[in-house]
Amino acid sequence: MDDARRGHGQGRRVVEDGMEQLTNIVVSPSELEHIALLLGKLSQDTTASHVLLLDKSGQVIAAQGMTGERDVVALGALLAGAFSSSRQVAEILGERDFRGILQQGVHESIYTSLIGEHWLLVVAFDKQTHVGLVKVLARRTSDDLERVLERVLSGSAEAKEQVVNVQFRSSVENTIDYLFRD
Amino acid sequence: MALINVASREIQCKIVYYGTGYCGKTTNLQYIFARAPQPARGDLLSIATENERTLFFDFLPLDLGDVHGFRVRFHLYTVPGQVLYERTRVAVLNGADGIVYVADSSAEKLEENFQSLIELETNMRQMGNDLGRYPFVMQWNKRDLPNAIPEATLERYLNRRRVPSFPASAVTGEGVFPTLRAICKAVMACL
Ligand SMILES: Nc1nc2c(ncn2[C@@H]2O[C@H](COP(=O)(O)OP(=O)(O)O)[C@@H](O)[C@H]2O)c(=O)[nH]1
Ligand SMILES: [Mg+2]
Repeated sequence: MDDARRGHGQGRRVVEDGMEQLTNIVVSPSELEHIALLLGKLSQDTTASHVLLLDKSGQVIAAQGMTGERDVVALGALLAGAFSSSRQVAEILGERDFRGILQQGVHESIYTSLIGEHWLLVVAFDKQTHVGLVKVLARRTSDDLERVLERVLSGSAEAKEQVVNVQFRSSVENTIDYLFRD
Repeated sequence: MALINVASREIQCKIVYYGTGYCGKTTNLQYIFARAPQPARGDLLSIATENERTLFFDFLPLDLGDVHGFRVRFHLYTVPGQVLYERTRVAVLNGADGIVYVADSSAEKLEENFQSLIELETNMRQMGNDLGRYPFVMQWNKRDLPNAIPEATLERYLNRRRVPSFPASAVTGEGVFPTLRAICKAVMACL
């Protein structure tokens, strides 16, 4: 590990051929349990129908209240896309510190807020719940999740080595060749 | 940003197909969706205008199934190519782990390709990524066109970094899977 480069980009290092390692987020079972607890509490306190934790790239880290897996995957992409696009809008309009969006429907509303610079917290709630309450409680949960995020980012490099080993790398190449053959 | 979920034993990565309007990005995803084996492909989602121009993005999740105890997934996205949609492209690029640059081989598109590559480089740099050290492959699409520029010329003008490149004709599917395999492997090599 090239220590000089580690401070930047959460443990980025140079891999073969001068390529840079991608930013990884490695979530351990105990951290995921902690996340589920935080989301569960938020869901209860806001009587939300759905609570999701997403990576800003659209990948779903944890979801509460969802059933179909296909729906969850599509929702992740759409919600992260909506947030990312609103953030670009804000930037064009001169707003630099954009942290959340509220999408209001007649029955259901969705509040999405940024955690650190990597994650998004999404709460879907109905008209019985006051928006202000959701914002306050989401904020509190975000503070807790931000600490989880910091831990996850700092521990990622070591935790990853256990998963992505030589056998994994060769199996994944074979699987790609097999599934995506012409 | 690759996500390794040790608890649910999943690895997820994001791949973006980038390029000018009409170069064939959506066609690549449609072909993959039509031909990838059933358990591997998810639903293709397109946010498009009425006349099928990509408005925001296309999205196709691919599931490699179990690899050494982990479920590996690639999420493919396309960007809208219209020049004016730069901010939307930036929104879609957010958190990407790998990029396929799809170039339209027709002669009149060379300059447009060149400009859009510069835009991509600039935006990636602003996100802290150097394209030369990042999972990145090129696809020379529309090789079937009668006025397609020779590959050597495309290499010279558009591939100064000498990243892997693949001739393709996305309408017939030629070159689509070789491109996909290359970017998936490049992403995995940088995990
Ligand atoms: N001749 C030819 N046409 C293509 C090829 N790939 C895509 N097209 C056509 O180019 C047009 C634009 O393709 P599309 O995938 O929507 O482009 P996008 O804007 O990059 O998403 C469509 O009419 C496609 O059928 C190709 O390899 N050869
Ligand atoms: Mg398109």
